[in-house]
Amino acid sequence: MFYVINLLIYAGVDAMACLGLSQQFGVAGVTNFGFIIFQAAGGYTAAILALPPKSANGGFQSYIGGWSLPFPVPWIGAAIVGGLIALPFTFLVGRRLRGDFAAVGLLVTAVLLNLLATNYVPLLNGDSGLSLIPQPLQGEYSPQSTGYQWAFVAVALLLAAGVFLFVRRITESPYGRTLRAMRDNDVVADSLGKNLLSLRTGMLVLGGAIAGLSGGVLVSYITTWSPAAWGYAETVVLFAAVIIGGAGNHVGAVLGAVLVPVGFEEVTRFIPTSNNLPPNLIPSLEWVAIGLLIVGFLWFRPQGVLPERKRVIALPPGEGKSAPDATLASVWERPRPPASRPAPAGPGEVVLEAAGLVRDFGGVRAVDDVSLQVRRGTLTGLIGPNGAGKSTVLAMLAGTLPASAGKVIYRGQDVTGVPAFRRARLGLVRTFQLASEFKRLTVMENLLSAVPGNRGDSLRGAIAGKRYWKRDEAAAIARAQVILRRFGLEGVANSYAGDLSGGQRRLVEIMRALMTEPSMLLLDEPMAGVHPNLARRIGNELVALCNEGMTILMVEHELAIMDEFCDPVIVMAEGAVLAEGTMQQLRGRSEVVEAYLVG
Amino acid sequence: MTVFLASIGFGLVTAAVLAIASVGFTLQFGVTDVLNLAYGAIMIAGAFIAYAVNQAGTSVWLGLAVAVAACSAGSVLLNSGVYTPFQRRGTSPITMVIVSLGMTLIIEFSVQAIAGGTGVSYTMGQGRTFHLGGLILTTVQLVIIALSLVIMAGVHTLLRYTRLGKAMRATAANKNLARNCGIRTSRVITITWALTGGLCGLAGVVFAMDSGSFDPTSTDVFLVLILAAVFLGGPGQAYGAMLGAAVIGIATEVSAAFIPADYKYVAAFVVLLLMLGVRPAGLLGARA
Repeated sequence: MFYVINLLIYAGVDAMACLGLSQQFGVAGVTNFGFIIFQAAGGYTAAILALPPKSANGGFQSYIGGWSLPFPVPWIGAAIVGGLIALPFTFLVGRRLRGDFAAVGLLVTAVLLNLLATNYVPLLNGDSGLSLIPQPLQGEYSPQSTGYQWAFVAVALLLAAGVFLFVRRITESPYGRTLRAMRDNDVVADSLGKNLLSLRTGMLVLGGAIAGLSGGVLVSYITTWSPAAWGYAETVVLFAAVIIGGAGNHVGAVLGAVLVPVGFEEVTRFIPTSNNLPPNLIPSLEWVAIGLLIVGFLWFRPQGVLPERKRVIALPPGEGKSAPDATLASVWERPRPPASRPAPAGPGEVVLEAAGLVRDFGGVRAVDDVSLQVRRGTLTGLIGPNGAGKSTVLAMLAGTLPASAGKVIYRGQDVTGVPAFRRARLGLVRTFQLASEFKRLTVMENLLSAVPGNRGDSLRGAIAGKRYWKRDEAAAIARAQVILRRFGLEGVANSYAGDLSGGQRRLVEIMRALMTEPSMLLLDEPMAGVHPNLARRIGNELVALCNEGMTILMVEHELAIMDEFCDPVIVMAEGAVLAEGTMQQLRGRSEVVEAYLVG
Repeated sequence: MTVFLASIGFGLVTAAVLAIASVGFTLQFGVTDVLNLAYGAIMIAGAFIAYAVNQAGTSVWLGLAVAVAACSAGSVLLNSGVYTPFQRRGTSPITMVIVSLGMTLIIEFSVQAIAGGTGVSYTMGQGRTFHLGGLILTTVQLVIIALSLVIMAGVHTLLRYTRLGKAMRATAANKNLARNCGIRTSRVITITWALTGGLCGLAGVVFAMDSGSFDPTSTDVFLVLILAAVFLGGPGQAYGAMLGAAVIGIATEVSAAFIPADYKYVAAFVVLLLMLGVRPAGLLGARA
């Protein structure tokens, strides 16, 4: 009987930890190799909150704190501290650092903190750890009684269930969709106005709090906590559980928790111990098996036992007939006061201006002193041979790449130092030359992920629940549907974007950019790989948008497209602007013809 | 003053060991683009292979040669059997790191399953003790330092003056471009695994000699020092790793003269986190 109780409590604790990791790693793509630190912090916090002052019990162990606080304060404290200690780590997960480097930083932190806790006795009793940690309400009830033990099981499982409902609520919200978008491609999410640092900080704190709570519950049950219980390799066990269960699927995380940490502990219990075996053999082989499981699953079934499920969004079918002529322009523009609405007559004022932009890659100057202006309502083309620096200029205008020198001025504001996601929020949105769809989001979700100002697209909104953001979501879906219909992709709305053809993916990207309600678009070869008929249709749509007051700067290789749609056209070669004018004018200039038009 | 000088002596030895390990690690990462966290596990496997040879009654220096060959072959196998198939599938760098962590568990604990978890040491004489202007070093320590200097000179010659070295640098800078220029990148990568695997085995054995007693998990923390040295100099930068190893090696041992020895790795840890947070390209890395 005691054995079953023990098993169930471990299952509850491991399920909580795995859910926290599943949220961080599976949903948001934050690879936290130091996850165990947070569980450890929760465990220690619960211990020192519940323990009497260190002079008690003959003062045989030394620790800070010892406040003898009653249940449930230690558990709450464990969750809070688990969340708070995530904050110092946020500097590792910003946009600047490669994900694998950040993961290494966290792993190293876990190794070193364990080393410190092992060696520094005054803080948390060093290597031997804390023991005789009071159990909840042990004054009122006897922790040894069967009733108490079963009650503990019930509370642990209820907490695990609560954590499950909580992370599911977040994952299934617009905020959760943004997290999954960031996981699939963080640079693109950044360019659509998502604040990566804030998203990742949110995940570190949330996952840390869940891990802390699991640590608190655990120490209250086992009544001891020492550095040996939270070696860096324990994190790997939890990762194994989430990968095997299915990253991004919370049911899978619970299944993984039952299969790996709980299962392993139990399986080895039934291996007959023989005196002939070396003492370390079984635990060693256990670790080898966990390593094999990780590598094997990543190779044979990377999606896990229970893969992330597809979020199908039912489209209201009737609406199609009622509004067949809805133009794109009627859905892209954000509602703004009529006074500020620009007059659509002819090319207007300068919207975007580059002044002396320079970009060096190592010793190579890819862009050398580029200045250009884009006026409102124009579809400006940017052409040039391969390696002319067109995409680099576009990236600097959008903020994806910092400029080595020079200025970017958008609507009269110097945005040179403004990060990409803020420029996107100001209405300056780019697309990418290489396929940049969020692969494991459906086409519909790709579009919805770009919508600004959804009430559910924040941690608070997600926690507030569906009722809070239902209307924003419905409006966004309706808008997405109009755009999908316009580009003839309604039929694949619920397909994974990663499964589409190359041309369809280009379309998804343009549609997604339109969903951000931009006032200026920076398009990087939007028609590459698209069927000529469709390319023409896209071109016409873009011209229609410009006539409504949108401004577009478009990098393109295809001269026919430039001829047909773009005016004016800027020619770049070898990192500098060569000429500017209509295609007609440009064809008459010998240096342009030499550099690009022939050749 | 004597304590300080003695710690400089220790620092030189640690730096020498660290330099061999870090240069191997950084070349491996730079050329093959795999952040191979199993490097520490392979090091300790090498140390135990040398131990087995040593236990059979032969010199540990013969064991060193065997370990270098075994780790070199093992690394090539690890790459062709695990990492390359994953990379060919387009596995993301972060998943590659998880794979390498899985391999770490497999290798490290296979060693533990075979060798047991207790600390062992080589049967070897330390040789005469030399007093060099206040520094006190044994023959073995001097040999380690000399070995390290020879390796550094060798790596310098390789990268600077040979076709293979140029091909390695080209592959590290841009694999596709290198391939289009007629460099057989897959062969360069295999050779790199062989070379860096050999360095890894060498580092494992001299690490074990230097630390006296070692067990299968001894390199867990040493890997932190390697990472600190590599990131200080800039990942993929061979000269950066040499500089990083010198700084980290001497800094940890000298700091041990003033703070409790248990905390000597904290300096390396702080350096690593600072570099990751402030300048991930490293001191000698290209400006981002």
